[in-house]
Amino acid sequence: MSSKSQPFPGVWKQIDLKKVTIIWVLVFWGLSFVGQINYDSWRRYSPPKLSGVDYNVYIEPQPLSPTLAKAVSFGSTEFLADYYWLTLIQYYGGGTPNGKYRKLAELFSLVTDLSPKFQQAYQTGLIILPGEGFPDQAIQLGEKGKNNLPDSWEMPYYTGLVYHIYKKDYVSAAKEFQIAATKKDAPPITQYFAGIYYKEADQRQLAYQIFKTVHDTTKDDFVRERSGKQLLHLEMIFFLEDAATKYRQQFGRYPSTLQDLVTKQFIKEVPVSPLGVNFVIDPHNGTVSESRK
Amino acid sequence: MRKVLWAITLNTFRETLRDKLLYSLVGFAVLVIAASLLAGSVSLGQDARVIQDFSLTAMLAFLLIITYFIGTQLVFKEVERKTIYLVLSKPVSRETFYLGKFLGLCLTILVAGLIMAVMFVIVLFAKTHSVPTAAYFAAGAVILEAWLLTAVSLLFSSFTSPLSSAIYTFGVTLIGHGSATVWLLSQKASPVIRTILEGVYYIFPNLEKFNLRNDVVFNLTPSASQVGLILLYFATYTVFLLILGVAVFRKDEF
Repeated sequence: MSSKSQPFPGVWKQIDLKKVTIIWVLVFWGLSFVGQINYDSWRRYSPPKLSGVDYNVYIEPQPLSPTLAKAVSFGSTEFLADYYWLTLIQYYGGGTPNGKYRKLAELFSLVTDLSPKFQQAYQTGLIILPGEGFPDQAIQLGEKGKNNLPDSWEMPYYTGLVYHIYKKDYVSAAKEFQIAATKKDAPPITQYFAGIYYKEADQRQLAYQIFKTVHDTTKDDFVRERSGKQLLHLEMIFFLEDAATKYRQQFGRYPSTLQDLVTKQFIKEVPVSPLGVNFVIDPHNGTVSESRK
Repeated sequence: MRKVLWAITLNTFRETLRDKLLYSLVGFAVLVIAASLLAGSVSLGQDARVIQDFSLTAMLAFLLIITYFIGTQLVFKEVERKTIYLVLSKPVSRETFYLGKFLGLCLTILVAGLIMAVMFVIVLFAKTHSVPTAAYFAAGAVILEAWLLTAVSLLFSSFTSPLSSAIYTFGVTLIGHGSATVWLLSQKASPVIRTILEGVYYIFPNLEKFNLRNDVVFNLTPSASQVGLILLYFATYTVFLLILGVAVFRKDEF
């Protein structure tokens, strides 16, 4: 820097330019750091900036279509699946979406398209998706998992749980659990659950047969004890319904309460369920069920 | 001839070692492989999977970058600096020169690949206390793929500029890995397009044959016949490329 061209030549000589450069570097680095933090928190936690949307577009990943993703992966589809898996974890765990995690189902689908045998992805999806408003997509994911991992008991087991909890479809849940029970390494209780679901779905004879098989074949003491109680419980129901049918044959109607069967000496007493629940009878059709009270 | 070939190979190897780009690429690859530990730690218990996939992909990516940027410049530099006249004025045939360049770069890629593979094995072992056999096969296949693409880049660089040959080699890589897609497209296309696409499928190298990376997470070790077929495919296709490259290089006028 020539002293002629500067208005204060003495001042420039005194300033160590190296120090000035370091200071400026530090200042701008600090500013960009603060800016980045502010930008991130604004992006993640502030309400949506677009009018009329109920999701936070700023944290929403934009996954490629499975075909395009495969085409640009250079064959490293497992790597790309991992990348989207990490993206998914960040997306779901990284902040409020201000509404729905709209891309969640798409991400799970993409990850499992890229890595069809990624068991953890299926299991996580089957647990997370229904609770976030994607029960149908969860069931689709479960179906895909069953096709791609035919030896896994977890796929039908978790799918069955979705049918039970989010769809209240006990027959489908029972069918899934029956499939799961046929797989190697499935917990002994799986078939027991199938019986429970059939019972819930009012398919008592089917439930009885399943509990009987479980009881006669399981090596697990707990499962044997529970299935034994279920068997006894169902036998009591069959017994009471049988008595109610005889009652109807004699009196032309079903009894109003189970106590009527005792009073008219069709049975000695109303049995007590080993499951600790009370029985009630529907006087219109004679069906005996568990009291929900 | 063998002595001359070895001398050129070794000289090419030394020349690439002097390239600072090589060090930065290998260094960066090692860094990425080490960083896969961090990525694994936020993957909900999928550490081994993430380390394997990230590391093997980083290996492939960086070895290919070495091929694109160093491989395409080897012959070009000799011509530009006019050092090729010195070499060819000696009793060195063009074929030997070309093959020496190829083998020299293959040696560089082997050394770089081994450094990355060692880092990968260390990181994986440190985290999981085991390294699946499939990982060694996958790493070997990555090096084979990079060798084959070295032959491709050398072929292109014998008649075009480094930038163009890097772009062409990248294109071949893309098509080579998309061979399954090309085949599927061809089966759905009209007869004319189908013939063209099938031609593309058969002419371009099928790089998916070298892709054992996706099997590592499931520890699916390739069978002996699969390994044999990969080696046979590599050998025949590379020889084909080298013959083609030598033929072009023989006709080049400097």
